[in-house]
Amino acid sequence: MKSINDRSQDIGPFVSQTDDAIIICRCEEITKGEIRQAIHDGMFTVNEIRRYLRAGMGLCQGQTCGKLVKNLIARELNVIPDQLDPATSRSPMRPVEMKVLGNEEVSHV
Amino acid sequence: MKRYDLIVVGAGPSGLSAAIEAARCGMSVAVFDENAKPGGQLFKQIHKFFGSKEHQAKIRGFKIGETLLAEADEAGVEVFLNATVAGIYLDKEVLVQIGAAMEHFKADTIIIATGAAENMITFDGWTLPGVIGAGAAQTMMNLYGIKPGQRVLMLGSGNVGLVVSFQLMQAGCEVVALVDAAPKVGGYGVHAAKIARCGVPFYLSHTITKAEGSDCVSGVEISQVDEDFIPIPGTQKHFDVDTICLAVGLSPMSQLLKMAGCNMVDDPRRGGQVPQVDENGETSIPGLFAAGDVSGIEEASSAMIKGRMSGLAAAAYLGFLNEQDKDNRLADLEVALDSLHQGMFAPGSKGKTFAKTDEGIAVSQSLLKKGYLDDADIERFIHRPDQTIKNSGIHPVIECTQNIPCNPCQDACTRGCIKVGKTITALPRIDAANSCTGCGMCIASCSGQAIFLVDEDYAPGYASITLPYEFLPRPQKGELGTALSRSGQPLGHAEIIDVRNAKAFDQTTLVTIKVPVEQAMTARFYQPKTNAAGQSGKKEIRQ
Repeated sequence: MKSINDRSQDIGPFVSQTDDAIIICRCEEITKGEIRQAIHDGMFTVNEIRRYLRAGMGLCQGQTCGKLVKNLIARELNVIPDQLDPATSRSPMRPVEMKVLGNEEVSHV
Repeated sequence: MKRYDLIVVGAGPSGLSAAIEAARCGMSVAVFDENAKPGGQLFKQIHKFFGSKEHQAKIRGFKIGETLLAEADEAGVEVFLNATVAGIYLDKEVLVQIGAAMEHFKADTIIIATGAAENMITFDGWTLPGVIGAGAAQTMMNLYGIKPGQRVLMLGSGNVGLVVSFQLMQAGCEVVALVDAAPKVGGYGVHAAKIARCGVPFYLSHTITKAEGSDCVSGVEISQVDEDFIPIPGTQKHFDVDTICLAVGLSPMSQLLKMAGCNMVDDPRRGGQVPQVDENGETSIPGLFAAGDVSGIEEASSAMIKGRMSGLAAAAYLGFLNEQDKDNRLADLEVALDSLHQGMFAPGSKGKTFAKTDEGIAVSQSLLKKGYLDDADIERFIHRPDQTIKNSGIHPVIECTQNIPCNPCQDACTRGCIKVGKTITALPRIDAANSCTGCGMCIASCSGQAIFLVDEDYAPGYASITLPYEFLPRPQKGELGTALSRSGQPLGHAEIIDVRNAKAFDQTTLVTIKVPVEQAMTARFYQPKTNAAGQSGKKEIRQ
C-alpha cells in the first residue's frame, strides 16, 4: 500500500487561498477551493476526487484538468505526482452517444 | 470481428511511420484515427523542419505528411478516419466508434500512437473565451483558415510558442508580447530571433496574472515572477488583446495504454503519465507498443523514427522480419535518432545551462533573454577564429549560434562555402576560400531563417542584404519600406532591389534590400510601408 492511502496522516487544517475561486475543471465547473477542501475531507486520490466532486468526469474526461487536479492533490499531501495513481482509464475513452454505444456489432468470428 | 496483423491507433507522424514499416514487411495493417484528416499535427506544421538531409530537414511539415500518406497508401495500409478507439481489451482487441456503430477489431500486435494534448495553466480569467492553446490557434489558422484573433499574447517560449507566434504573424495577427515564467527562452534561438526581428518584445521571468474581460478576453495582465515563480506585486503590465495563447507544454494521451494494463510511470521529463517501454517502444505487455509523443514528448522527426522502430519491432515479433534484418535496420534508425538527440536541446540536456557552445564560444545571453543577438554576440560568432568572413562582395552571414541537430545549409551551397562537418550539431562555418555566387540556396535551406547574404559593395555608400521573407503580400521590386534591426527597431529606409521566388526556395521569398553600408551588419528584416507583415509596436513606422 502506498503511504498516500494512509488516511490517518495529518495533512493540517484547510487554509483558504486567494485564488480558491478559480475553476480547475471547466466541464463540471469545479473550483480549486472545492478540490482542496475535498482533499481535507479525506479524498486522497484522483479517483476519489472524481467521484466526490465530478472533477474530470465531464465531456473532456479530465484531458484538461487531470494534471491540474493531480498536482493539487500532490501539493496538499506534500508528495510528488508520481506517487499518485492517475484516474482509472476505462472504455469509452471519448464521449459516445448512448444510441451509438448500444449499437455494437456482436458477431464473434 | 475483423482481424489484422497490426492495429495502429493514431495516424500522426509516428503511427503512420510504424504502419508503413510493418506493411512493407508484409503485415496487414489497420490505422484508426478519430480525426477527419490523417497526419496528426503534421498538416499544421507549415514551417521547414530541422534535422539532417536524410531525415527530411528543410521540408515543410505538411509536405512530410503528404509523403507519409502516399507511402502508407502504396504499402497497403488501411487508414480508418473518423474512427475513435473507445477501448482496448484483453488479447489485443479494440472497440472503435465508426459512424453510428461500435465495431470490434482484433490484432496480434498493437501500436499506440495517440500523441499528446496541450497543458493548461490556471490564472484569474483563464476560462474566458479567447484563452486558447497554441496548438488550437495553429489548428484554426493552418487547417481551417481562421484567424484566432487580432491581437495576441503568447505564453511559453518553447519551440511551440515561438513557432506558433511566427505563424500568428504570418496569418496577419499582431503578437503583442511573448511571455515565459522561465528566466530564459526555452526553444531554439533562431525561432526566437525570427519573431524578435518583427518587433515582438520578450518578457522572460513573467507570467500571466489575469485575463481581463467579462464575456471574452479584452486584455491581459502579466507580472514579473521571483525565483520561485511567485508574481512580484507592483510589477504588473497590461496589454490590450483579444486572444491569449498558452504554449505551456504537452501531456501524453496515454489512457489507452493504462487501460490495456501496461506498467506506467509519471515521468515529468517525458511529459507526465507514460508507459514503461524498451528501446523499440514495446511496453510491459508483449506485442503492445507505444510510439511518438504518447511515450514521451519530443518532436515530429523523432516521433517518425520511433514509429518506424516500433513498426519493425512489431514485424519481428510476429516473424515478418528475421532477427538479423531487424537488428540491422533498427541499428540504422538508432543512429538517426541519436543524431537528433544531440546538442543543447537534446532530451538529456533538459534543465542544463550551457555557458559555451561545443566550439568554445560563450553563448548569447541576449538571445536567451530578449530573443535576439546583440552586437557583441555578432562580433564573437561571426568573426570567430575558425571562419574568415569577407567584407567585400556578396557573402553569407550565418547567425546560427546554438548547437542544434541541423545541417541542410551545408548541402545547399554548391560552392562549398558552408561547412557543418560530420557532427550535425556543430555550428555552420563559412569557408571564404570558396566564392559565393549569391544564389540564395543557403537562405532558403535554413529552417531557422538565420542565413543572410550581405554585399557591402553594392553601390557607393550602400550595402545589399538578402533575407528570407515568409509573409504575404510579397514585397515588390522598387518598393520602399523600413529596415528593421534584430530587435525589430526601425533603422531607416530600405529599398527592395530584388525579389526572388524560385521553386527550389519552397515558398521562402528572398528579398534583397538596399541600406546604408553602416547597416550591413545590423539590418535584418524588412517592413513594408502598408503594414501587413513585420509588425511592430512602434507607432512612428506604423501609419
